[in-house]
Amino acid sequence: MSRLAEAGLEPQAGPEIVPGPLAPFARALAFVNLWIVRLGSLALLAAALILTYSVVSRYFFKATTDWQDEAAVFCIVGAVFTASAYVQSYRGHIGIELLATFLSPRANRVRAIVVDIASFTFCAFFAWKSWTLWHEAYVDKQTTTSAWGPPLWIPYALMAFGISLLALQIALQVGAALTRRAKP
Amino acid sequence: MSILTLGLLFGGITLAMMFTGMPISFALGSVAVVFMYFFMPAASLDTITQNVYEEMASITLLSIPLFILKGAAIGRSRAGRDLYAALHAWMSRVPGGLGIANVFACALFAAMAGSSPATCSAIGQAGIPEMRMRGYSPGFAAGIIAAGGTLGILLPPSITMILYSVAAEVSLGRLFLAGIGPGLVLVALFAGYAVWRFRKEYRAADATFRAGGLKSAYLNENTLTLRQKVEMLPRVLPFVILLIGVMVALYGGLATPSETAGLGAVLALLLIASIYAMWRPRDLAPIMAATLRESTMLMLIIGMSLLYSYVMSYLHLSQSGAQWIVDMHLSKWLLLAAILALVLVLGFFLPPVSIILMTAPIILPPLKAAGFDLIWFGILMTIVMEMGLIHPPVGLNIFVIRNIAPDIPLKDVIWGVMPFVGLMFFAIFVICLAPQIATWLPDLVMGAK
Repeated sequence: MSRLAEAGLEPQAGPEIVPGPLAPFARALAFVNLWIVRLGSLALLAAALILTYSVVSRYFFKATTDWQDEAAVFCIVGAVFTASAYVQSYRGHIGIELLATFLSPRANRVRAIVVDIASFTFCAFFAWKSWTLWHEAYVDKQTTTSAWGPPLWIPYALMAFGISLLALQIALQVGAALTRRAKP
Repeated sequence: MSILTLGLLFGGITLAMMFTGMPISFALGSVAVVFMYFFMPAASLDTITQNVYEEMASITLLSIPLFILKGAAIGRSRAGRDLYAALHAWMSRVPGGLGIANVFACALFAAMAGSSPATCSAIGQAGIPEMRMRGYSPGFAAGIIAAGGTLGILLPPSITMILYSVAAEVSLGRLFLAGIGPGLVLVALFAGYAVWRFRKEYRAADATFRAGGLKSAYLNENTLTLRQKVEMLPRVLPFVILLIGVMVALYGGLATPSETAGLGAVLALLLIASIYAMWRPRDLAPIMAATLRESTMLMLIIGMSLLYSYVMSYLHLSQSGAQWIVDMHLSKWLLLAAILALVLVLGFFLPPVSIILMTAPIILPPLKAAGFDLIWFGILMTIVMEMGLIHPPVGLNIFVIRNIAPDIPLKDVIWGVMPFVGLMFFAIFVICLAPQIATWLPDLVMGAK
């Protein structure tokens, strides 16, 4: 993905086309991503509205604001982590693409696959550790330290789910690249 | 293993991973995990996710997506074009007024949208064709927009400043205000250059015409009636109100910076709904999707950069790096120059967010020890990172210009941008000589420190 995409300025390019036996898997993931974008959009809007409400209620009604910040944090953290697979489907996580300009197309394909496998390993590890974190928070009924004290397993579950989906998305891209290689 | 070897290994592996083209967030996370595995207690690996979550779940950092939402809402409406058209109308009698209008439009838009590339794109789409139609050379037109766009991260609200305030533990409100003076200095320098260059190109066109050559579009008169000008105003006022409203909410003590972000996003969405009738789900979906894309990409980089700097600090690499710089006993200004040069070089490759989070623990302690004001330095650092945005090889704004005006050769764009890089160097020099340019406004509004 180009640097333009970083700015959200690139015209809508579809996700990579996945051929062959992986196609149903890719369609399923794309469907999940579509709904995540919709829900994530709503979560961001909700966060903006919650914070606006916080200002208004404090100013006009002198209400205390205790839960708003945390609720907004949960909304945004949830949206950001769950959307990471969607961003990956467009190759939207930017990297330094300098090496790619020096390598032959063949070497570049190998580089891209190796990089994806490394990214997958990291994300899979992170997903695993997120699930153990979630489990611990759920079993021990951990809450945040504020007066409102909502349960921590909620954002942890969103993080674990999001990063797991991200790992799946990268695995799919590696799989697609390998099948493309097998059938030139 | 000595701390020096460990540091070199850490730096070397980071560079190697990054240059493979691995996404920056995953590369930083992987380096952190690998070093945790080999050099830190086994239990530390069990808490990495908690670590990342706790660092990220700060309402200050999480205001970033909301600032992006505000920018995307404004950036994807016709606001940029309208703002530009109105400024152009009001400046049309001033010699070189078109160039000035473009610089002003960039500055105002940047202050509303808070993003350099979005500013370039929104103002450039209208501004570059207009300037070229009026005879401005393509490189000059591209340079004005690329440089004008960089004001996006200097004028408040700026995403890079949010990160800097977290990394340097300085007041965000103060930092935002400190950006305004230097921002205006850059606006003045850019506008002054635009006028000078206009007069030069105008004289050349005039001489060619008098010698019997082609009549350049430069020489065409173009005047608008007062009525036309007044009709332009209502289109701009709401956005100026948004800008001022947000600042009043923030500095009038009505809202925290993160609440301001939420409020700004809601106001921006209400404005585009009422003025441009953009309220249907199909109008809003692209805005939300773009916000989600950019936020997710940035927040993952931020989260992993924080994990990375946690490892760096646990292994005493940042402290030793900072101590090493202090022990060189460089003179105060040489130290500053060396650090800014480092930021400049990093800016050629890395986005500002990662530069701030990765380097802050190393470069800020020596600067503090040397007696520099960290808010003032934040402003200098921001200007230097802006140069990275318009400087080859990977200047983001150059790519944006290439996208909106593909027929201008890259060489022309780069040569058009270079004078502005020079002006930014000059601005840094001026702000070093007169730090008050940055510090007087925060001191005035929020009281001296």
